[in-house]
Amino acid sequence: MMVPTILTSIIFLATLWLIFSEKLDRTITGIAGAVLMVGLGKLFGFYSEVEAIKAVDFNTLGLLLGMMILVALLEPTGFFQYLAVLAGRLSKGHPVRLLVLLGAITTVLSMFLDNVTTVVLIAPVTILISEILGVDPVPYLITEALLSNTGGVATLVGDPPNVLIGSAANLSFDDFLIHSLPIVVVAWIVVLFLLRYLFRNELAVKPRNSRAVMKLNPAEALEDRKMAQRVLIVLGAAILVFFFHSRLHLSPSFVALSAAAAALLWVRPNMREMLQRVEWNVLLFFAALFVMVGGLEAAGVLEIIVKALEHVSVIPPVLFGVALIWIIGILSAFVDNVPITIAMIPVIQGLGASGVNIDPLWWALVFGAGFGGNGTIIGSTANIVVVTLSEKTRTPITAKLWNRIGFPAMFSACAVSSILYVLVYPLL
Amino acid sequence: MIVSHFMKKKVVSIGAKATIQEAAAKFVKQHVGELPVVDDEKKPIGIVNLRDMLSLELPDFVRFVEDVDFVHDFGAVETTRPTADLLVRPITVLMQPVIPVDENCGLLRAYALMLQHNLLDMPVVNKAGKLVGIVSRVDIGTAILALWPGVESKKS
Repeated sequence: MMVPTILTSIIFLATLWLIFSEKLDRTITGIAGAVLMVGLGKLFGFYSEVEAIKAVDFNTLGLLLGMMILVALLEPTGFFQYLAVLAGRLSKGHPVRLLVLLGAITTVLSMFLDNVTTVVLIAPVTILISEILGVDPVPYLITEALLSNTGGVATLVGDPPNVLIGSAANLSFDDFLIHSLPIVVVAWIVVLFLLRYLFRNELAVKPRNSRAVMKLNPAEALEDRKMAQRVLIVLGAAILVFFFHSRLHLSPSFVALSAAAAALLWVRPNMREMLQRVEWNVLLFFAALFVMVGGLEAAGVLEIIVKALEHVSVIPPVLFGVALIWIIGILSAFVDNVPITIAMIPVIQGLGASGVNIDPLWWALVFGAGFGGNGTIIGSTANIVVVTLSEKTRTPITAKLWNRIGFPAMFSACAVSSILYVLVYPLL
Repeated sequence: MIVSHFMKKKVVSIGAKATIQEAAAKFVKQHVGELPVVDDEKKPIGIVNLRDMLSLELPDFVRFVEDVDFVHDFGAVETTRPTADLLVRPITVLMQPVIPVDENCGLLRAYALMLQHNLLDMPVVNKAGKLVGIVSRVDIGTAILALWPGVESKKS
């Protein structure tokens, strides 16, 4: 069994290197790596096509697909634009109030919907509003990305790592509301105050024209009121069912896909256009990673890692959890947190099989993977989106500026979650 | 029917060393929509259009908003002018790649190039690659329409 173990490890590490160095599109790398893994498995007889299909977590893929369809239906209605314009009016041109309102809207949306779509749709309106006010859009853009990353950690459907962890550890929607939401709320408030402090000079500048913002008309920003209403009703019903899904014995993916089916039946969109807005590359990438990790497991690689980690049971479990928050957090600041999460899941499961209490470790993984993305521009796709958009403005966001703001935000969110993790550890 | 019969021979162009401010002055004085940028030998190296110039007044982000119907007053944008240090930068920073057309090029080929690259004007060059004129979509389009049966006689 030695040769397959070494070869599969080499394939997996090479794939990770290609993904992290961004030398090749991550989905192309993933598909090639998955095929190689299955080929090797057939050659040495440790892995087959049937086992590869079994390794794919369809609960994760179904939940992601269902939520992606709902967002794809909501996107063209102008609903996101409507909320941003409303925030602009309600702020009455007051910079701090605008920062809090836009940040709060982005957070609440990204708790239930894809962070990237939320930021892609809110950020252009944000730039427009700050241009109209005559203020620098940078504080608002960075705040939206950081708070949407932070808010996404709170719910089962807020962030892809949460979907993965929830499915692997069998955590329900309300498990997240009980264990993750309270910690995220505290971290969110701390990050908001930190941003208010770090941007104190920019936010002290008096807008040159705060009257024009009152002439913005949110109703005109909403392009298709009827469609928006229908999708929002279905989305609201889905969130309501999410609260009870474990008691009703419904899987989250069943709830999400049912909601998607109901919305499609009600709205009856042009399917070709709608399907173009679904991120198939993300779904394929996830499936490919599942196949690869399944191969590693079948070749016995994960067993070796778990054996090597067995001595960690001498470390107090609380400390191990805190270490996990920081290690995963720092890693996620520099590389994609999805492969990290997919690779960590079987390791934690292995530790569980060897007698370690892994329930709290899952939450450490959730916090690390979620808050870590704030550290650098490349830490999350939402960050990349606002930076790319800012290049079209008078004041592009530089990597240096991001690190000055994002790194303290990541550090304080990880610190807050570590402290609370230690305090509430017996309850986790 | 070749391009050189229909082009404007008096073509306004700007040197590659000019500043954005000098280019703006030329746009205003000559009342044109596009300015070919030429090197010392009068060979076109790029083209600047009004839209590129105006992106300094109203940056490109407007195109990322699905529609701007809901904006009735552009507020501070209306009184924001490009800064002095931006205006002294060379015009080449705003320049787009140029697609010149040979003076002997046929009308339909020139029109097809315009359609494909979504152009309103094309600089015309001679064999040596020097700028000899400029031809617009209107110049070419009307020249083609004039060939339609009975059109030329109804012109008056």
